Amino acid sequence: MKPREGRAVWRMGRGDPAYPGALLNLADEAPGVLFGCGSKRLAGELDPERTVTIVGSRHPSAYGLEVAQELGHLLAAAGLVVVSGMALGIDAAAHRGALAANGATVAVLGGGPDVIYPRSERQLYERIVANGAVMSEVPPGTRPGPGCFPRRNRIMAALATMTVVVEAAQPSGSLITAELAYKLGREVGAVPGRVTSSVARGTNGLLADGAAVIRDAQDVLDRLLGVGVKTARRDGPPLEAELARVADAVGCGATTPDAVALEAGIAPHEAAVALARLELLGYVCVDGAGRYMRTALTTPGEGCRTTLES
Amino acid sequence: MLATTRTFSLLGIEVREVHVEVDVCGYGLKTFSLVGLPDTAVRESRERVRAALENSGFQYPGHRITANLAPADLPKAGPSFDLAIAAGLLAASRQLPAERLAGTVLAGELALDGSIRPVRGTLAMAEAARGLGARAIVVPAANGPEAALVQGLRVVPLERLEQLRQVGTDAEPPAPQPSELSLNGAGHGAPDLADLRGQPYLRDALEIAAAGGHSMLIIGPPGAGKSLAARRLPSILPPLSRSDAMEVLRVASACGLLVRGGLAVRRPFRAPHHTISTAGLVGGGSPPRPGEVTLAHRGVLFLDELGEFSREALEALRQPLEEGSVAITRARGAVELPCRFMLVAASNPCPCGRGERSGECECRPGSARRYRAKLSGALADRVDIAVAVERPSAKEMGATRGVDSAGIRARVVAARERQERRLGSGRCNADMDLAELRGGALLTADARRTVARGHARLGLSGRGYDRVLRVSRTIADLAGAERIEAEHVARAISLRRRGSE
Repeated sequence: MKPREGRAVWRMGRGDPAYPGALLNLADEAPGVLFGCGSKRLAGELDPERTVTIVGSRHPSAYGLEVAQELGHLLAAAGLVVVSGMALGIDAAAHRGALAANGATVAVLGGGPDVIYPRSERQLYERIVANGAVMSEVPPGTRPGPGCFPRRNRIMAALATMTVVVEAAQPSGSLITAELAYKLGREVGAVPGRVTSSVARGTNGLLADGAAVIRDAQDVLDRLLGVGVKTARRDGPPLEAELARVADAVGCGATTPDAVALEAGIAPHEAAVALARLELLGYVCVDGAGRYMRTALTTPGEGCRTTLES
Repeated sequence: MLATTRTFSLLGIEVREVHVEVDVCGYGLKTFSLVGLPDTAVRESRERVRAALENSGFQYPGHRITANLAPADLPKAGPSFDLAIAAGLLAASRQLPAERLAGTVLAGELALDGSIRPVRGTLAMAEAARGLGARAIVVPAANGPEAALVQGLRVVPLERLEQLRQVGTDAEPPAPQPSELSLNGAGHGAPDLADLRGQPYLRDALEIAAAGGHSMLIIGPPGAGKSLAARRLPSILPPLSRSDAMEVLRVASACGLLVRGGLAVRRPFRAPHHTISTAGLVGGGSPPRPGEVTLAHRGVLFLDELGEFSREALEALRQPLEEGSVAITRARGAVELPCRFMLVAASNPCPCGRGERSGECECRPGSARRYRAKLSGALADRVDIAVAVERPSAKEMGATRGVDSAGIRARVVAARERQERRLGSGRCNADMDLAELRGGALLTADARRTVARGHARLGLSGRGYDRVLRVSRTIADLAGAERIEAEHVARAISLRRRGSE
């Protein structure tokens, strides 16, 4: 894993006026020098109030991936900078979402800023460097070793006012990041998961301990910017009654055409057709094992928050 | 004195004529030499022939014997030359009048006590004998029924070597009853699709696959009924035509499967274990022997646990799938074996079986991807349909029995007839070339919009697009529709193979 020749690496010391102020909250633990590739300005001007860190499992469920990508997309579209660690799974999905929205995203790496790890994310790395920034506290060419990632996590936690954990097992690196964020006085949010799912154990645990409930990007925006300051919603095209019924069936946990047919009370081949139509409209997607699930796309009129009347 | 008899050498599933020239010398040492590229089994024929002759009341000539198998440059293998060598020896030593063997072809393996054992490839030999204009073929009694499938040729089934005395006389053993080919492969006793409880989506997918001859991939956790369903696929395929049935029998005969199994003709179902070698799967060896793909000719090849098969074995499936035949080339010549089969592959979603993104999967991140990579690669282009299954719920298991195979088969047959009218006899949608595919795809305006949306929204590649079109055509054929409608396209999209192309 040789550093590539000619990749421009910038650096900034702690005394540098461009050094991200948020990192100074780490006090003695603040990195002495930051190295990076891509936009130095973006990295230097990170405003923790307008930055969100999204972390999670390297081995997420399809649900987790979908949520992470959607959060990345909508938060970046709302003008926030999405910080994550470029790891496989949730981190990569959050970066991808932000890039898809043409938003700003910063990856904090465990190795040198010019060392692509994991190597399979080379394309993602190039896109982040081209449209955002990567940064690291270790010099260019350093390969990530044991201990790099927990130390890297404290930088991610410090950069943003809020750290959102999408899916995390227990114990896991993502929970360490959440704990660091909490110790720094940053806000911690977690996306609720199924209680039986092992990759949701960590996040559900965070919620039990009082983390903010993150159901969608709106929850993050309300916490960071104040309720109702900015709205993040994506409505899909309107649905005919039968398609809406099928979409609801999927939302209720029916994952196969057969189960959807039973739930929605239609013939199995009609269910297959309806699911394909919903997939084309973007309302449902399919995981690696062929199970259907809802995307974050809402039907017009659906998803308006109901509040308990006092 | 010199005598010549005729027999055949089996190469793959075809046969070549072999002349057995036997010379018995009236003087010299008592030796028996056998020339003409015999392999070990053929060379050992000398011992079987000697013992069988002596134990059948014949005399073993006391001087120098030379037997030549011509053409001398064709390698000979197996024990089927025994009978022809023995007959030549008897004629050359004047124990049998040579003219009685004129126009007769012989094949059979000898036991030491003089009884005649069955050999492989008798059906092809009988057909070749008729082609050569032979009067009769002498075969082991156990191979009689398959040889009798060939009309216009006298078949003489022999139990024992001493019956050679009757060949060519009025006392010749009567020909076996000409076998009736039962072409309706479903029959009773064959597994029926009614056994599959619930799972209407999977049933539909099987019906569509059968109707268009599409290869399919079934993904699901253990216990979801993947192999149960695949085993029942032959029962909903259309009955074999007579010529297809003969091809199936020819393969079975060349592999020695007819002796025990009788002649009920079914579409074959082959399910090799995933530890199978490449040669075992596609054929090979010297002399070349048919592999599982050839044994599955006109039937179904089922690869359970696809991800566990070796990469080499799966790569080797490429040519058979594309061309419908395997060419095995050896230093001494090439053999072509037919292998038009429907591929059904089943796989867990990931090595642990829970599904990589279920949130409960215990596989390492890279391993699931490597596992899936095997599903693409070599087979990707030929698998038109992918269907995900789950374990049926208790409610589904309690559901009433589904439609049985006969009902589904009737629809499949009707759909195939539509395809044959369009494409020509014996062809189905799965083997349409691109021009036929585009030409036959009369899409309604609505269907065209659905396809376009699939392109934009789902990132269908060019090949993925063609596969969706192909499967839509079959769904339209099943529905009896001339034009492909939006609904047909949508169903095809739900059955498409997902993941990277």
